[in-house]
Order: sequence, then C-alpha cells, then structure tokens
Amino acid sequence: MNRLAATTLVVFLAVPAAIRAFGQQDFKPPTGPTPRTASGRVDFSGVWEKPYVPDMSKDGKGQQGAPDLPFTPWGEAEWKTYDAANGDYTGACLPFGMTRSMNTPEPMQFMQSDKYLGFLFEQNSWFTVVPIDGREHRKGEATWFGDSVGHWEGDTLVIDTVNFNGKTRLDTIGHPHSDQLHLTQRFSRPDLGHITYEVIVDDPKTFTKPWKNVRTLWLRPDWEMMEYSCEENNKSLWEGRIKVPKYKP
Amino acid sequence: MNATHVCLSACLVIAAAHPLSAHHSFAAEFDVNKPVTLTGAVTKVEWGNPHIWVYMDVKDERGVAQPWQCEGGAPNTLTRNGWSKDSVKTSEQITIYGYLAKDGSKTCNLRTVTLPGGRTVFAGTSAPEK
Repeated sequence: MNRLAATTLVVFLAVPAAIRAFGQQDFKPPTGPTPRTASGRVDFSGVWEKPYVPDMSKDGKGQQGAPDLPFTPWGEAEWKTYDAANGDYTGACLPFGMTRSMNTPEPMQFMQSDKYLGFLFEQNSWFTVVPIDGREHRKGEATWFGDSVGHWEGDTLVIDTVNFNGKTRLDTIGHPHSDQLHLTQRFSRPDLGHITYEVIVDDPKTFTKPWKNVRTLWLRPDWEMMEYSCEENNKSLWEGRIKVPKYKP
Repeated sequence: MNATHVCLSACLVIAAAHPLSAHHSFAAEFDVNKPVTLTGAVTKVEWGNPHIWVYMDVKDERGVAQPWQCEGGAPNTLTRNGWSKDSVKTSEQITIYGYLAKDGSKTCNLRTVTLPGGRTVFAGTSAPEK
C-alpha cells in the first residue's frame, strides 16, 4: 500500500467505523399482508419512518424527485430570490405546512378511523386531522396546512388539500408555492411494512404544470412518537442568527 | 485492498449518516463552505429541542480559552441513533468537526464529535451534501 492509499485508509475508516458504533442499525420493516380495518379499508395506522426530502427536485433513499421543476416566471423569480438567511419561518418555529412536514426526517404516526385519518408529525409535535369519508372541502380562512379531505379510490386513499395561506415553502431548500397550491397525496399500503406515497404539486401561479414525488414509508414498530417542543431552546432565533420572514400583509 | 476500495466502502457508511434534524434551513444560519475543527473542554451540554447545544472552551493561538457553542441534531432523532444526554460530558476533552455560523460568532453546526476514547460519532448536521 502506498502512502496515498494508507492515508486514505486512515481518513476514511476513522469516521465511518465510529459512526457504525454509535449509529443507526440496519432496519428491515416487518413482513406480512396489508392490514385492514374492521370495515375492510386499508389500515395505515402505525409509526412510520419517512425519507428526508430537503429538495423535492432530487432523488434519494425512498424518494423519486421531480427534476427541472416547470416554473412560471413568478415561480422562477420567487425561487431565484429566496435566501433562507433573510428569513426562515421553520427556524422561527412557525408551522412547516403539509409538504415540509411530510419531508422531515422525523417520523410520523397515522391514527385512522372510518371518518378520519390523523397525521401526527413528530416534527414540532404538530398534527392535522383529515376527514376521509368523502366530504367536500370546508369554507374558511386559509391556513398553514391547508384544508384536507380524503376519499378512497379502491385501496388507495387520496388526500386533497387546498386553501393554503402561502406562507410556507415546499421543502427545506426553499422551493416556492403560492396560495393557489393544490396538493394531492395518494397513499397505498402494498404490504404490512410499507406505504407507497405520491404527492402531486399543482400550483398554476408557481408552476406551468403539475409535478410529483414518489416515496416509500417504512413501518417502525420499534419506535414510539416523542415530544418535540420547537420553542424549548431555539437559541438560533433568540440570538438573532435566524430571522423571521417579513410576510406581506 | 487499495485506496479506491477503502473509499468506496467507507464513503457508503458516511452517506448512510443521514441528517437528524430539519428544524430549519442549514443555510439560514451556517456556511457549508466554512468547515471548522475545534478541540477543547466541554463546559455544558443542553439536551433539548429543537437542537442539542455543546459548549466548549477552545484555546486560541495565544493559549487563551475562548467559549464556543455548537449545534447538533434534534435530541429525539439523536436518541434513536444511539445518543443520550450523557454521550458528551462536561469537562471532557473533545474534538468537533462542523461548520461556522454566517454571523462570525463563535458558533458552529456539528457534523461529528470525537470523544475522549477516540470514537467519532455523527452529530446530526443538516448540512447539504457537497
């Protein structure tokens, strides 16, 4: 082994060996048939590990992104002028919104009845409860997570969300959306251990056509949800290194 | 085994060390182009959300101890990856590798911590892959 090879051995073995010792073990989701509720619907209940998706245009483990996002001129300008250093609403512990909550590396739990699907996000201990009995959207003020309703297409649960307040970003890197955002999330559970998840982004103010991500979620029966108080010790905001965005009235 | 083989296997493990927090955009506070390595004595550990913070005294070129503060991942996900609030202890001598804050203060984001026994652990940075 020459000197370069020896140096490389030391440099690259030192860190990963230690990461192995302290790090996450390989996990395989449980196997078995798709579980169903007493009424025969696919049951999505459980604690789920999600792929971390900081950039919805990119692929990753369990994630197929959408390269070359089809921006409108307005969307392109919003994207090119975004700088998180000028204001990061997530750093200020404001609500992440639907896509960015689904994108986080923290797990989530689904709780399901015939009428509702509860999305319990560990990120900041937020939740949103979605009627899944086929009802229409409610009329009301726009919100951070939007208004969601669900219906079944065979064994696929389709969640339709509108009426966003436009104050969020789609992902950590900061891809924009407007208050015209219309999200379609499609959930199926091909077996016990997996959810196949599609999210379709349709926002005519920001994008010229809809685009989507396709992901896999993994059942984690070995995990339980934990408290996550974003405000507990948010030093970066308190000490001025993270700024609150200046939203237009 | 040659260097290429070593890098191939080892780098895969590095890639498996996923970010352990998405509380905020990394770029809102830190500069991925300003990596830093610091060695010093731990003065305090804050084990709380949305990030753990490790405080340490680091001697400057004149030998004067300077207080630094460095942000790690979220305690929940660090816990699931083998950490506890006692993983880094007060008075211990550690070496950290991370990224400097954009504001020029003695603040950094932790990628790895090398513990007194020489073991190096991933500390949950959300820095983008370069």
